Amino acid sequence: MTLLGEFALWISLPVALWGMVMGYAGGRTLRGDLVLSAERSIYAVFGLHILASAGVMAAFLGNRYEYWYVASYSNASLEVFYKVTGLWAGQRGSLLFWALLLGFFSTICVFTNRDKNREFMPYVAGVLQTILAFFIIVLLFADVNPFERLDFMPADGQGLNPQLQNYWMTIHPPTLYLGFTAFTIPFAFAVASLLNGRLDARWIQLTRRWILTSWLFLSVGIVFGMRWAYEELGWGGYWFWDPVENASLLPWLTATAFLHSIQIQENRGMLKVWNMSLVLMTFILTIFATFLTRSGLIESVHSFAQELKIAFIFLTFMGAVVAACVVLIIYRLPQLRSENQIESFFSRESAFLFNNLMLLGAAFAVLWGTLFPLISEGVTGQQISVGPPFFQRVNFPIGLVLLALVGIGPVIAWRRATRRNLQKNFTIPVVVGLVTGAALWISGARHELALVTWSLCAFVLMIIATEFWKGTRARARIEGEGYALAFFHLISRNRRRWGGYIVHVGFVMICLAFAGSAYNTDARFNVQPGDVVEAVSPFGHTYTLTYEGLSVALGRGERNLLWQAIATVSVAQDGVPKGVLTTEKRQYNQRDSQPMTEVGVRSILREDLYLILSALNDQTGAVNAESGSQGIDLQVLIKPLISWIWLGTLMLVLGSVIALWPNVDRRRSEDTLPMEPESEPATAGAAD
Amino acid sequence: MKKNGRFMVGLVGMATVVTYLIWTGVSETMVYYLTPVELIERVETDPSFHEIGVKVGAMVIPGSYSRVEGELLHVFTVRDLVDETVTFTVEFRDALPDTFTDDVEVVLEGRLRPDGVFEATTLLTKCGSRYEAAPEDLAGNPG
Amino acid sequence: MTLYLGVALVTAAVVLFILQPVVKGVHASLEREDDELTETEARKRVALLALRDVEYDFLAGKLDEDDYRSLKSELTAEALAALEADDQARVGAFTTADDDLEGEIAVIRQGLQDGYVCPSCSFSNEDGSRFCSACGHALADAVAS
Repeated sequence: MTLLGEFALWISLPVALWGMVMGYAGGRTLRGDLVLSAERSIYAVFGLHILASAGVMAAFLGNRYEYWYVASYSNASLEVFYKVTGLWAGQRGSLLFWALLLGFFSTICVFTNRDKNREFMPYVAGVLQTILAFFIIVLLFADVNPFERLDFMPADGQGLNPQLQNYWMTIHPPTLYLGFTAFTIPFAFAVASLLNGRLDARWIQLTRRWILTSWLFLSVGIVFGMRWAYEELGWGGYWFWDPVENASLLPWLTATAFLHSIQIQENRGMLKVWNMSLVLMTFILTIFATFLTRSGLIESVHSFAQELKIAFIFLTFMGAVVAACVVLIIYRLPQLRSENQIESFFSRESAFLFNNLMLLGAAFAVLWGTLFPLISEGVTGQQISVGPPFFQRVNFPIGLVLLALVGIGPVIAWRRATRRNLQKNFTIPVVVGLVTGAALWISGARHELALVTWSLCAFVLMIIATEFWKGTRARARIEGEGYALAFFHLISRNRRRWGGYIVHVGFVMICLAFAGSAYNTDARFNVQPGDVVEAVSPFGHTYTLTYEGLSVALGRGERNLLWQAIATVSVAQDGVPKGVLTTEKRQYNQRDSQPMTEVGVRSILREDLYLILSALNDQTGAVNAESGSQGIDLQVLIKPLISWIWLGTLMLVLGSVIALWPNVDRRRSEDTLPMEPESEPATAGAAD
Repeated sequence: MKKNGRFMVGLVGMATVVTYLIWTGVSETMVYYLTPVELIERVETDPSFHEIGVKVGAMVIPGSYSRVEGELLHVFTVRDLVDETVTFTVEFRDALPDTFTDDVEVVLEGRLRPDGVFEATTLLTKCGSRYEAAPEDLAGNPG
Repeated sequence: MTLYLGVALVTAAVVLFILQPVVKGVHASLEREDDELTETEARKRVALLALRDVEYDFLAGKLDEDDYRSLKSELTAEALAALEADDQARVGAFTTADDDLEGEIAVIRQGLQDGYVCPSCSFSNEDGSRFCSACGHALADAVAS
């Protein structure tokens, strides 16, 4: 099975290359037989990669340690679940997994378009096969072949790093990869439209769902990573500004910009070159992110190994793609001219444009900060890095402007807004925002940035709520429906717009939580059993924590556990007992010799109480159950509002799913003609 | 045309602000990444480097780790990765990461005080083997 | 042995699958579908969408009456131009299958040219208006019929 998989991987290269040539040739000569062959080759590559992936899995399940990849990521005692997910546990497997997912999406794309949009398909197939071929070449020739064999047979594998044995970690990379690979489809359509000269908004309409799907997966994938860091890394943070995290943020930022700017092209026929550039940029950044994750270019906790060959291949490919796209855009420039002009500084178009500018500014800042050590080393010979303070300083103001735009965008008029329009729509929300800020100030909040953020959140929420209210009311009046039904119809008749608003609500909730981190508290104690310590929450109540003691258990072979020391802490909030939290140190008998921390978290809507067993006073003594060695370092963190990140993400998913939900009755969808009396305008909202 | 002009001014203004943010952000938060050898050379030629925060990649010397009870203060000695004779003492007042042992490569952020003790504010352990074992490990460790 | 058999089978299947169209001359269609929007149609669509947006914004109380009227008359002119252009492009071309839509467009065009008279106050509105621009009387039903 494994050998067959290896063979399938090899044979997929000529198939992909064949499909690539057939696609471009078919597009040029307009020969249907070549095109059909190209499309079939996509199915074939996908099938071959299923075989190859099955081969890797079979090697994992069969404990075939003669394979380098299996020996490095598995061992006899690893749970079956983690053997299956071993396919994407490390660099080699995950590159194959990338190709598999891309093949999957390409297959869906080719299949669903077998009877329509035929003029795009030759080049779409060609572009998709080019990218597939690239990944196969990387797999086969960049020393990252998952089927590489060792020249000896180890008795057991290295096992999987315990920190990666966590369910968030098994779904985080695949979700991100789904987002990365799905974005290849819009890219392929964009390039196809450049190649065949069909340069209206058609390619955007065709790929809108792909764009939103990819964006959704990216968002969720990023949040999964945050959740993993929060639960597993044991220091209470969820975002490090680590190069790999930044790398996944970059395409998210440009994809968000793209989601917004395509609406200007659809509505006003503007920004064609801009949109082409954004789709290209996002695609390149997904490749860049894959490359950063999977090579050791920049020091990072995620980066795997220092591999120059893979860096060379990736950089060459990225350079070639950029060059090809720039040439194509320049070649088509005359046909990409705007149909309209921006009329006013105060208009929805310009709000969208500023949104784009801010997102790109953030992306540029993040990219710059990430690459800064390399740039400075190249220019001055001295490695200089910028840390989290840099990213926070730059992105905080940008984030605030974006937050304000989330409120302004939906209600400012297209083309030009008059003073009256602005007054009419912004007076109440601005007042609400200011009142919120003042109320928070009176209740004792003094952190300026947090106050500004929360006021803006209130402003935006007020605007969105008003939108929902006005829309429902208008509908209820016209159609004579009850408010609940009108509300339901309002959303279902124009899911894209209202789904977008719901996503915005999610974004506001997340901002709310980010600002809450200004009130994080952090206290450290050295405690003996029976000691009582207190931590005061920024909301005013006091946690009384009693350290009950340490229980050390020797592992029973489960997950290679050697021993685990569990500290029990009972929690009372303002004197009311709230149960018991445990935090522990675990020692695994594999690979890394140092113990790992499991944190204890009590999560309520307002805040998380986060306990960390930082250190055992006397590790050897504790393990040997010596009395008097039960003292520990206990770190007590209070993280206000952090749950709202996860809740906001749920909201964001809900909104995206509403926007993505297929239209059952196509006559009522925004794809048919407008002006049907009962359908709401399709286009005014932002589908962030 | 006037409106377009105003619009361009707005755009350029925004772009300038972002650039300014990045520029000041870099100049105020940048940190030199040095080896212990370089750091010691630097402070000799330019004593102001005692005040500047730097990042240093170094190797913890086995057996040098000790902990001041009750104070959450960790003290250990590190050496240069290449030149083993260049060493200095490190003081770190925070929780150590799980990956810290007294035989590991660390990246310290902080400053080298004039008394020759490095006051670290953050400590990261740097280990290529964290998420993936090198094949050589496998060969030397076939059990 | 089974391995070689498997390899041979996979290879043969793949090669047959992807070469068959070329060898046997099986063609995939490369035609644009009949019901797809043409460029002038797309432009018309954009113009009408803009009109609908203004209408909605007024309805939801986001635009006041003066803004609404000035924007609307401007957009109406654009929409008319787009409709004319689309008509020109269509002369001699096949008629689309979707007669419903054609009918609808005819109604819209008629309304745009003639204006729409409010049953309540006799103000002449642009068609597509849901409320009379002068007195606010609901027009939606009249348009739909």
